[in-house]
Amino acid sequence: MNDLIIALIKVVFIWVWVLLIAVVMTWVERRGAAMIQDRPGPNRAGPFGLLQPLADGIKLFTKEDIIPAKAKKLLFILGPILFSLPAFSAYAVVPFGDKIILGGKEIILQVADVNIGFLYIVALGSMAVYGIVVGGWASNNKYSILGGLRATAQLISYEVPWGLALLAIVLVYGTFSLREIALAQQGTFLGILPNWGVFKQPLGFILFIVAAYAEANRVPFDLPEAESEIVSGYHTEYGSMRLGVYLFGEYVNLCTLSALIVTFFFGAWHLPYINMASFLGPISYGIASFLVFFLKVSFFLWLFVWVRWTVPRFRYDQVMGLGWKALIPLGLLNLFLTALAIQLTA
Amino acid sequence: MAKPVVEKRYKLSEQVYLWELIKGMGLTWKHFIFNVKASFRPEPHTIPTCWQYPEDRRPIAPNFRGAHMLMLDEEGREKCVGCGMCAKICPANCITVENAKVPEGEEAKYAGKTYSKTFTIDWLRCIFCGFCEEVCPKGAMMLGPEYELARYTPEECLADKSMLLANFHKAKQEGKLRPPREPVPVVGAAAKPGEEKPAASADEKAVTSAAKPKVPVKAKPKAAE
Amino acid sequence: MINHDDYVKINIGPSHPAMHGTLRVVAYTDGETVVSADPEIGYLHRGVEKLGEHLSYHQFIPITDRLNYCSAICNNVSYEMAVEKLLGVSAPEKAQLVRIIMMELARIADHQVCVGILGVDLGAFTPFFYLIIQREEIYEIFEHYNGARLTNTFGRIGGVEADLPKDFEQRWKKLKEGIARANEETDKLLTHNRIWMDRTIGVTTFSAEDALAWGFTGPCLRACGVKRDLRKDEPYSVYDRFDFEVPVGKYGDVFDRYMVRMREMEESVKIIDQAFKLYKDMPADAPLMAKVPKTIKPPAGEVYSAIESPNGELGFFIKSDGSDKPYRIKIRPPCYMVYQAFPEMVKGEMIADLIACLSSLNVIAGELDR
Repeated sequence: MNDLIIALIKVVFIWVWVLLIAVVMTWVERRGAAMIQDRPGPNRAGPFGLLQPLADGIKLFTKEDIIPAKAKKLLFILGPILFSLPAFSAYAVVPFGDKIILGGKEIILQVADVNIGFLYIVALGSMAVYGIVVGGWASNNKYSILGGLRATAQLISYEVPWGLALLAIVLVYGTFSLREIALAQQGTFLGILPNWGVFKQPLGFILFIVAAYAEANRVPFDLPEAESEIVSGYHTEYGSMRLGVYLFGEYVNLCTLSALIVTFFFGAWHLPYINMASFLGPISYGIASFLVFFLKVSFFLWLFVWVRWTVPRFRYDQVMGLGWKALIPLGLLNLFLTALAIQLTA
Repeated sequence: MAKPVVEKRYKLSEQVYLWELIKGMGLTWKHFIFNVKASFRPEPHTIPTCWQYPEDRRPIAPNFRGAHMLMLDEEGREKCVGCGMCAKICPANCITVENAKVPEGEEAKYAGKTYSKTFTIDWLRCIFCGFCEEVCPKGAMMLGPEYELARYTPEECLADKSMLLANFHKAKQEGKLRPPREPVPVVGAAAKPGEEKPAASADEKAVTSAAKPKVPVKAKPKAAE
Repeated sequence: MINHDDYVKINIGPSHPAMHGTLRVVAYTDGETVVSADPEIGYLHRGVEKLGEHLSYHQFIPITDRLNYCSAICNNVSYEMAVEKLLGVSAPEKAQLVRIIMMELARIADHQVCVGILGVDLGAFTPFFYLIIQREEIYEIFEHYNGARLTNTFGRIGGVEADLPKDFEQRWKKLKEGIARANEETDKLLTHNRIWMDRTIGVTTFSAEDALAWGFTGPCLRACGVKRDLRKDEPYSVYDRFDFEVPVGKYGDVFDRYMVRMREMEESVKIIDQAFKLYKDMPADAPLMAKVPKTIKPPAGEVYSAIESPNGELGFFIKSDGSDKPYRIKIRPPCYMVYQAFPEMVKGEMIADLIACLSSLNVIAGELDR
């Protein structure tokens, strides 16, 4: 019974935290874009525009909710929901900190330490396609269908390099459970490099991060919602809070992907050469590990924003070309080299 | 004709997407840091490119072509004599002038022998080209610095004489009056000092051939040519 | 002819985030590949040529502003030169220098907008802002010259109406550095970026023979490899005194048009430098206006006069019947010829390329539809 309550508290905590990140990310995106482009950005709603997300939320809530007459109503309503849920659910297995000791009980900062966490993540990643395709098709609008089609092809194609990069990580660390992968990234190897995934698997890291951009529909891979070509793509017909859920879901997706990048490649909650457990008490260690994790996730979220405002976007066939002709062979090569390296050093 | 085929040849640094991407990101990072530092300064308008309207207004040039003003001379008399040349030259047919002789006892108000009984400019039709200012023989019409002309009804956009004079007073108060434009030197001009209009600019001459307004609604100016 | 039932009809309509003005393209696509693209124009038709028949020669000058509104000065000068040709006068030298300085500034402004919007349509949002900031400085120069930023009713028949602003030299020095910096930043962000290169190299190539057959002029023609620039081939005004290059592309694709425009901005900077040096050497009270008759009543006849506007050869054909209003004014818009060839350029390409091509042609609806 106690365990159930603790798990529920963790679930609520994750929900609130991810939603807050999504809300703050809207502000970060707009303000970051403005700072890069030599303009102030939102600065009217509160100091530095910090209340802008609140204003946006109020605006989206109070707008009229229009469902086009010929749209498939049930699917139209389901689209945004199908888009956001897998991103949230993936958080169930992400370790967002080490452990904390409260009231004599040791609580791991992870909702569910499943020993096939990696498979769960990959499976949920595949589910993310449905939200876009369903939303695009149900809108009864040619632009939306184009967006949905592009999304299908892109998201499905980039799951392969995603999976291949992660497979190499699994080979290196020898376990499917995310918590054990995170724990294994302690210490150093070769004397000076921390045991992080990025140093053991540099090629895998590049593959994974490129595939993460593609999975998140972010520039340079944002064809499904390319504004100048197909006018918002799959969410052209959406307005008011349905659009809000799509946009939110996009940021939650980003948050999930950043968390995964950090867990697999950047040592989850570990600081590079310092062992925090040695000098912090049990409660503060738990909080500190969460904060370190959060800091790393924030860096990757900022990286998403930064790259968005720097590069142009790909064309559809170039995305496919990159995915199938460049990344998948590289992923297989990476797998082969990893296996070779492990065999030689075993 | 066949379309030319392009042989793409990439340098190694271009072929690997990442290197150029990182260079580009370095550039945007520099801009980012500069602007973030600027946004913390307490003075307004620290990010140099953006004016926070309405607190901060961009300073406009002295010869900005904004809302019209009817000028008064140094003794406070109206310069406009109601000749209607501005109405004739206007490409958009937005000026309506009605001319009358100055009545007895009001000579102190007007500088000339005739005056404009009514003078209406339709700001919704005006294209702010500045021809009326150039052509006015008395220098009575000037385009001033006022550009916030949004109103709620079309009727409010018909600027009558009182509004135009008020514009002048407002500009004078704010110190935004400027001396009238000098006509440019013309080829073969006598250029004798003191001569007012040696060979007046072509635009003034062009007035006499200007189109009469075709819209029958407007009152025709009974102007003296 | 294609059977339209086999393909998906996509209407890239007059109001669209990527359309330059009010253009409409009805594209039939097979998946993502465009099979045919029918353009539709006329959404911004305002009857400019008809207006010319009712306004006097002088009154038509502000109307010409509104043709290519990104570089209004070039339209004004082209019209004034046509009327001067009809009258048989020519503007004095100082006025010509002022005209050239302002025209080249307008050319830089137009190219900045075109390159910026090309970037935005392709997803690179930032270079647009870097370029537009410099365009603001150009607008300030225009404002201090004339009073208006966008629709400057520049110049009069026979010359110009005012001298350059007094602080032009400082402003130009600052602006020169700004333009160089913005162009360098755009270059850094775009030109060698492989994503940009993939998007623009080889996209909607066009051969030189085709371009000449369709009547292309301007950067689109020069990108196809034909070295034709009215400023060099048929020098008007005092362009024969300046030393500048004419950048020429090779394949006529989007990348070549983009590079031609970037290089042309640099050449314009050179021209302005040389022109300003000549201008400073002239006496302060040199005439700025030719002796034009009382009412402009050109002798009966017709004239065609063209200049190299930022988009191509902008020509005015004026037929006069001896009265004070023109009998007929016909404007040759450079975008019209280019847009005619658009369906052919885009056949077989993808939708994303259609947008890129349209952006790079710099079709401005005001000029296209008049």
